[in-house]
Amino acid sequence: MTGPRFRPRKVLRIARWEVSRTAGTVDRRTLVVTAALVVVAALVGPAAVGGVALDDGIHRVGVSEDSPYRPVVEQHAELAAGPPTRSAYESGRVDVLVVDGEVVRPPRSDRTGRAAYDALRSAVEAFNDDLLGRAVDEGRADAEAAFPVDVRLRYERRTRAVGSVGSDGDGSGDGDTGTDGGSGGNGDGDGNDGDAGGSVGGGGAPLGVPALGGPGGGSTQGSPSSITPPFPFASLVLAFLFVVPMNFVIQSYGSTIMEERIDRRGELLLVSPVSPAEIVAGKTLPYPLALLSVSVAVAALVGGGPLSVAAVLPVALVFLAATFVGAMFARSFKELTFVTVAVSVSLTAYVFVPAIFTEISPIALISPLTVVVRDLQGTGVSAGEFAFSTGPFLLTALVLFALGAGVYREEDMFTQRPVHLKALDALAARVRSARGVALWSALFVPFVFVAELLVVALLFAVSASVSEALVLPLLVAAVATVEEVAKSAHVLAGFEAARFRRGLRTAVVVGVASGLGFFLGEKLTVVVQLVGLPDLAVGRAVAPEAASATPLVTLGLLLAPLALHTVTATIAAVGASRSRTAYLATLPVAVLVHWTYNLAVLGVVGGG
Amino acid sequence: MIEVADLRKEYEGFVAVEGSTFSVSPGEVFGIVGPNGAGKTTTLKMLAGLVEPTDGTASVTGRDAGDVETRRDLGFVPEESPLYEEMTADGYLRFFADLYDVPRSVADERVASALDRLGLEHRGRRIGDMSKGMKRKVAIARALVNDPDVLIFDEPASGLDPLTTNRVVEFTRELGAEGRTVVFSAHNLYHVESVCDRVVVMDRGEIIARGSVEEVRAEHGTTEYHVYTTVELPEGEATANGRHRRTVTSMTAVESVREAARAAGGEVVDIRTHEPSLEEIFLEIAGETPTGTVQSGPDRDGAGPDGGPSRHDGDATAGPEEAARGDREAETPSEPSAVDGTGEP
Repeated sequence: MTGPRFRPRKVLRIARWEVSRTAGTVDRRTLVVTAALVVVAALVGPAAVGGVALDDGIHRVGVSEDSPYRPVVEQHAELAAGPPTRSAYESGRVDVLVVDGEVVRPPRSDRTGRAAYDALRSAVEAFNDDLLGRAVDEGRADAEAAFPVDVRLRYERRTRAVGSVGSDGDGSGDGDTGTDGGSGGNGDGDGNDGDAGGSVGGGGAPLGVPALGGPGGGSTQGSPSSITPPFPFASLVLAFLFVVPMNFVIQSYGSTIMEERIDRRGELLLVSPVSPAEIVAGKTLPYPLALLSVSVAVAALVGGGPLSVAAVLPVALVFLAATFVGAMFARSFKELTFVTVAVSVSLTAYVFVPAIFTEISPIALISPLTVVVRDLQGTGVSAGEFAFSTGPFLLTALVLFALGAGVYREEDMFTQRPVHLKALDALAARVRSARGVALWSALFVPFVFVAELLVVALLFAVSASVSEALVLPLLVAAVATVEEVAKSAHVLAGFEAARFRRGLRTAVVVGVASGLGFFLGEKLTVVVQLVGLPDLAVGRAVAPEAASATPLVTLGLLLAPLALHTVTATIAAVGASRSRTAYLATLPVAVLVHWTYNLAVLGVVGGG
Repeated sequence: MIEVADLRKEYEGFVAVEGSTFSVSPGEVFGIVGPNGAGKTTTLKMLAGLVEPTDGTASVTGRDAGDVETRRDLGFVPEESPLYEEMTADGYLRFFADLYDVPRSVADERVASALDRLGLEHRGRRIGDMSKGMKRKVAIARALVNDPDVLIFDEPASGLDPLTTNRVVEFTRELGAEGRTVVFSAHNLYHVESVCDRVVVMDRGEIIARGSVEEVRAEHGTTEYHVYTTVELPEGEATANGRHRRTVTSMTAVESVREAARAAGGEVVDIRTHEPSLEEIFLEIAGETPTGTVQSGPDRDGAGPDGGPSRHDGDATAGPEEAARGDREAETPSEPSAVDGTGEP
């Protein structure tokens, strides 16, 4: 067999066919309904975020130009100024009247007037709170009169350890970690910063999870009712509009891939003079283009710029790539449904939840949606932040497409093998040499980080009900398991598919290659993090102590993880070289070694 | 044109093809026969570049069968007709012509010609609305859009009605006559026998016989002589018309029967030869009876001249052409000494 070929003309021809074919399966009624839904979404979406403003000017207040109530009426949208005359009130042209600096209370029978009266009172209270707040901001002497009770909130760092994450326990964590970021920022409630933001906890917080609310952002003074949560709600909802169409498009995309596999329909395309890569690219191309078009339209609708579109495109690619892999592994449309729902829910959650903390923590930048939120807010992001936010998504999409394309061949795509065996087939298609093993170990690092983030989130959630003494060992065990599986799964696949000759020597070679690749990938990721987000605690956490350590210690900290990864990967590879059962026996040994090492390093570096 | 050397395919411990070696000359119609699971389809897919061999080599038109460019000279018809049912036949064939870089005008001409020859009407109809036979014709036409030198047909007539089957088999014969190289596999050995110049017989992944049909028959088959006498002889059997039949396998034995009949006061009234069909040879060398997996030709249930049960010696139900091809037993006059129509034993 020859290597993959990629000719744009063929890709475009297949893409054109895919469009016409897909269009041919959509009847007119579906088209009309879809068009109607798009129109409704275009109209309702922004209205839902900004409010439909049906109550603008609903209460008419008869107030003169020079009345102190005039600014109140003008600042509140639901109030509208009218002529301050009794005749205007009696004729119904105004609902409530301000005469000689006094609000005339309408009679109880005048329900419209009473509602306008209440609205005016509320507006006056809000107006006064705002005035007094400004007095505090300006440091005027009468500020204490405005707020006679001064409550100051001070958030202390928690000493409870959850352990470091994001690294392999190679000495990079400081051990004290964890949840101190729960403060949600450094706002101290003193009314100085008013703006949202702040950094997570302290420098020792690799993954501080900020608390909801609190004085980390938003308005921090005024009456309690006027303190707003630090969530960029409006921008977040608008940013979410970018994600919604992706959930629909992957349904169609998953189906078209699945249809190629049902009844061996794609077989004749495979015997045409086009490569599987060209087929996959051609069948896929219309979908990111469609999502790009939709994203541009949504951006135009909600006021986003090219930055928003550039940020959501990698998300769209991951949606499609995950669906592609799922459709290649699924054995039926029923299984495909589970796949697309899982992709929808998990990816939507993954991009949406971090974006909630846009104004609280830079960790929010793990989601490209945060870039969109910032773009919508007009704050923007640096090039490094953009790369940090979107790079892993792009890489993940490429890796997933490559894995799926590896099984886009007759021998794999028409078989009804269990999903885990299909996954092994996909991996085996990509590893044919020790170099390939090293490369794919490195490429798995982003997936490892995501898995470890999920583990941390899970342990954080259950940490209240689990003994503190157990949390750190559990976390380290989970991290060790994730990393050892990532280093050995493709090695096992290679041996199972007879890509490698079974034997101790081969096992050692591919094991060392896997460990080396993983080590390099991990360190490269650290560099990217530090370049992208130099202030991010996660970035500092993965290479923290080295800067202040002696060269010898620094060298040791660098080489020790290399030794760890190669040794444990080799242990698992030796098992994989014998049989699947032997692999299942040696993998726990590798995990145990890794776990012991991590705990020891944490004890020396963190606790030391 | 096609060279296969030590071809092997293993699926997780299951050996589908083991050590196949054969070659196909330009313009030859080559048959691969065998029961289900014999390795025919896997072999053909390795030739079409669909399946990667575990070991060995397969080259087509001088290039590796797995090379994407090799497919430009290749037309493949798989066992089923997995078509895109929402497309029309015309649209489907033009799409594939585009992938083969066939200019539009040439493609139109080829598509029309192929469909005319196959007798496919309603070309603007959605493929999903077509019958199985029509779909099969579309699949065959697809294999011709690039005007290939080599055609690989895997069970092209599988599951079709007799009329369509005859058309497809006849079309395959025509393609061979045009000078194209055709590799043809079928369960129905009669089709293979009637179309192919040479065959290989596969069983459990291995080639167990090879050569022209005549060569295979000569090597593995045994010609039987049915000697009809007016008197009863040992090891003979009575026939419906009052005669007696003795079956022997050599001319010397025929003479012995003649002598025995004369000695018993009777005579030989008829001698008929029965050459074994490919199916019988296959059953003999495969050493099993794969009932339901290997079909005989339309002559399966034919009756012998004596009205008794007999296989492969005439077909009462087939058309004239099939009956002529299916009848391996020479028609002989009632002259006592006639064997194979030559007049003398």
